[in-house]
Amino acid sequence: MKTRSNETAPENEAAATPPPDGTNPGAHSPFAGSRSPLAPDSAQAVRRSLAARGIRAFFGSTALVSLLILTLITIFLFREGLPFFGASQREIALYRQAGLEYIDILRRAETGHIGLVRQLSDIRLRAFQHFVETGHLAVSDANARLAAFDNFADRFSDAIGPVRGLVSDIGEAATGIKTRAAVENDKAIQRQQLLDAGKASEAGQIKIEPVDFQKEIKPILDTLPACRDALRSTADELRAILAAAPSFDGRSLAARMETFQKRARAYIAALPGIENELSGWTPSEPVRWHASIVSFLTGREWITASFWQDWYGILPLFTGSLLASLIALAIAVPFGVGAAIYTSQVAARREQSLIKPAIEFISALPSVVLGFFGIAVLGELLRSLSQSPWLDWLPGFPIIERLNALTAGCLLALISMPTIFTLAEDALTNVPRALREASFALGASRLQTTLRIITPAALSGIISAVLLGFGRVIGETMVVLLCAGNRIAIPDFSAGPAVVTQPVHTMTGIIAQEMGEVVRGSTHYRALFVVGMTLFILSLAINYAAQKILRRYRLPSA
Amino acid sequence: MVSAPAAISSDSQTTTRMSAGNITFFPPQPASPASDGPGSESRAPGLIEIAGLDFYYGEKKALDGINLSIEANRVTAFIGPSGCGKSTLLRCLNRMNDLIEDAGIRRGSIKIGGADINARGVDPIELRKRIGMVFQKSNPFPKSIYENIAYGLRIQGFKNKAEIDSRVEASLRNAALWNEVNDRLHDNALGLSGGQQQRLCIARALAVEPQVILMDEPCSALDPIATAKIEELIHELKKRYTIIIVTHSMQQAARVSDRTAFFYLGRLVEYGGTRAIFMNPSNPQTEAYVSGRFG
Repeated sequence: MKTRSNETAPENEAAATPPPDGTNPGAHSPFAGSRSPLAPDSAQAVRRSLAARGIRAFFGSTALVSLLILTLITIFLFREGLPFFGASQREIALYRQAGLEYIDILRRAETGHIGLVRQLSDIRLRAFQHFVETGHLAVSDANARLAAFDNFADRFSDAIGPVRGLVSDIGEAATGIKTRAAVENDKAIQRQQLLDAGKASEAGQIKIEPVDFQKEIKPILDTLPACRDALRSTADELRAILAAAPSFDGRSLAARMETFQKRARAYIAALPGIENELSGWTPSEPVRWHASIVSFLTGREWITASFWQDWYGILPLFTGSLLASLIALAIAVPFGVGAAIYTSQVAARREQSLIKPAIEFISALPSVVLGFFGIAVLGELLRSLSQSPWLDWLPGFPIIERLNALTAGCLLALISMPTIFTLAEDALTNVPRALREASFALGASRLQTTLRIITPAALSGIISAVLLGFGRVIGETMVVLLCAGNRIAIPDFSAGPAVVTQPVHTMTGIIAQEMGEVVRGSTHYRALFVVGMTLFILSLAINYAAQKILRRYRLPSA
Repeated sequence: MVSAPAAISSDSQTTTRMSAGNITFFPPQPASPASDGPGSESRAPGLIEIAGLDFYYGEKKALDGINLSIEANRVTAFIGPSGCGKSTLLRCLNRMNDLIEDAGIRRGSIKIGGADINARGVDPIELRKRIGMVFQKSNPFPKSIYENIAYGLRIQGFKNKAEIDSRVEASLRNAALWNEVNDRLHDNALGLSGGQQQRLCIARALAVEPQVILMDEPCSALDPIATAKIEELIHELKKRYTIIIVTHSMQQAARVSDRTAFFYLGRLVEYGGTRAIFMNPSNPQTEAYVSGRFG
């Protein structure tokens, strides 16, 4: 450094470090006479770095804001949802303390019997059809031939009388206890709120009479001998009635009667079990800590605003969502992947420029419009199509319900098409050209190259495309709400492939449908949030899996 | 040249449907000892005869009036600066340019074994089964080593497992790769080193028993040791195959080839014995290029 020898030079960096030959740098520099723009302290540089920092901060903060909002949504979802388990736990405890559980055990005897009676009426209907259509009997003659059967069925149906009477009697008592407990609980909450607000005198006016469950439940427990007698007498009577069961000549009717008798005997054999359960039941037994989680995850019923007991079981909604989504994928995957293979491997450039925007345009359709179309056109179309005689070999045809999982699935397929097509097409197009050429150079045809080289090489991308399509449809709300039929019940998978024609309700649909009507903070409200949480976790898992698959099996870049 | 089988007609208009089975597409060539130097220039028709070839990418002329005769069982090198059309010409020989839209031959002909490969009715798939190709960047399929080679056999209709096995082994031996991979045939080919991958690609081309092997800068992505191995392999292979190699490395052309063609701006500038091209070029452009003054 020759700073000292150059003290007269202007105070800037360029002059402070003159070239070794000692000449004035200004003489050679193109920046002669002006401050060097390379100097870090020049005003321009400072301004530029400030601007750069500002731009950085702007983009950084937008990213941060979206992250923050996502976090807040997640926190909100969990904060509103998680108390569900506590509330539900208390409800289940009350369900036991008030004796509702006891009655539901007894009621099982009644519901089992109802199923059998329904089977009997089904047999009667078939027998009647058989006599009228195949045997060419007049209606009155057919009824006459069924007189013995009707007599049997009536007696069978009446045999449950004692149990039914008991259920309705003690049922009222139990709901009475439950209601009182709920009222007292509300009062306690109200008083606590007043105390918190510092209104001690008003709080003192609220008198709470805690429900003495042990005393209240006594009358219910006292019915145990009566229950036992009712169950036993029902069993005896049913056995006697069954012994004199009428028989049919037709082979299929006889077979049906046979299965009925088998089921009826199994039912009678199960009655002592119910009796044992009743006598073993104690209202004071504490509810297990995971009861609410178990009842949510494995509950087969979603019953709300019931006078008896609300149940929040996610299974019917989950299976409904899954069924509709799987139908959608079963349709969309062959079409989407097929279209992607065609577009990326076979189509000429002009075809590509037609097909790609067309399929991508589908995602521009508002789903409510699709749902509307489903109700107004597709549902009706499918049903009238299913009634044509040359299609009745298809499972589930003719369709009974106009709106069902199939209707929703068809539209969901349309919704997932763009996702699956676009991503699969990308994956196929991104297979290195070198692989294509290598295959062609070996004398492979276009088809062989596509099926044996390109598609396997793009498989991970195609799988993740399908997964993301799945994520897209399982989160879709409007279409399923409008078109899936909204029956809250686990679809009857014993129907085989015909299960697709049953109406279902979905996780997204239930939230959209019920969220507007629930009391804020109620158990039902929180249950809907837990359903939302489940959806959230499910989508997260699907997306994560899709990315994982894509990463793990990624080809080395070309 | 031995008389061609009756099915092969030199008339390019005759539609000759070539099949892998009974018709020999290329007539057998007399095995001539690979000689070198200016004295070996002969005017006998070669295995591949290119006459007056013009090739266009869209409206851009990439090859301009190429006349070239390539002899059987020799290594012919195509050299020249980037964009001179040497790779394009190579890809004309197995009609890989068919895959490019708007590109094609406008004039001239390519005859291999006397038959016009661009004649109507010639199936490019059949043609490519007879003319193997090795690419600039090794491009094994993302499958096992075994499957990489078996693929070509399977698409040619081989079904017998024992036969496929033996052919896989034979071609790996021919590509001097067998000793390195015989214990991991079912591992993914992408786990091999660059040089091994390139030899695998050569083995893959050899498995279907082509008559001609086209190599498009096969060593440009390899280190010197892997390059030496491939060059050694080329020496071995020319006993049984006709090899055409495009290369940017003058030393490589000098080392491996018997004859060299120098291309510049889509034209064939000079063609002759490799020694003649490098030691005593007749064209000043050739001289400037091989001595490294441009390119």
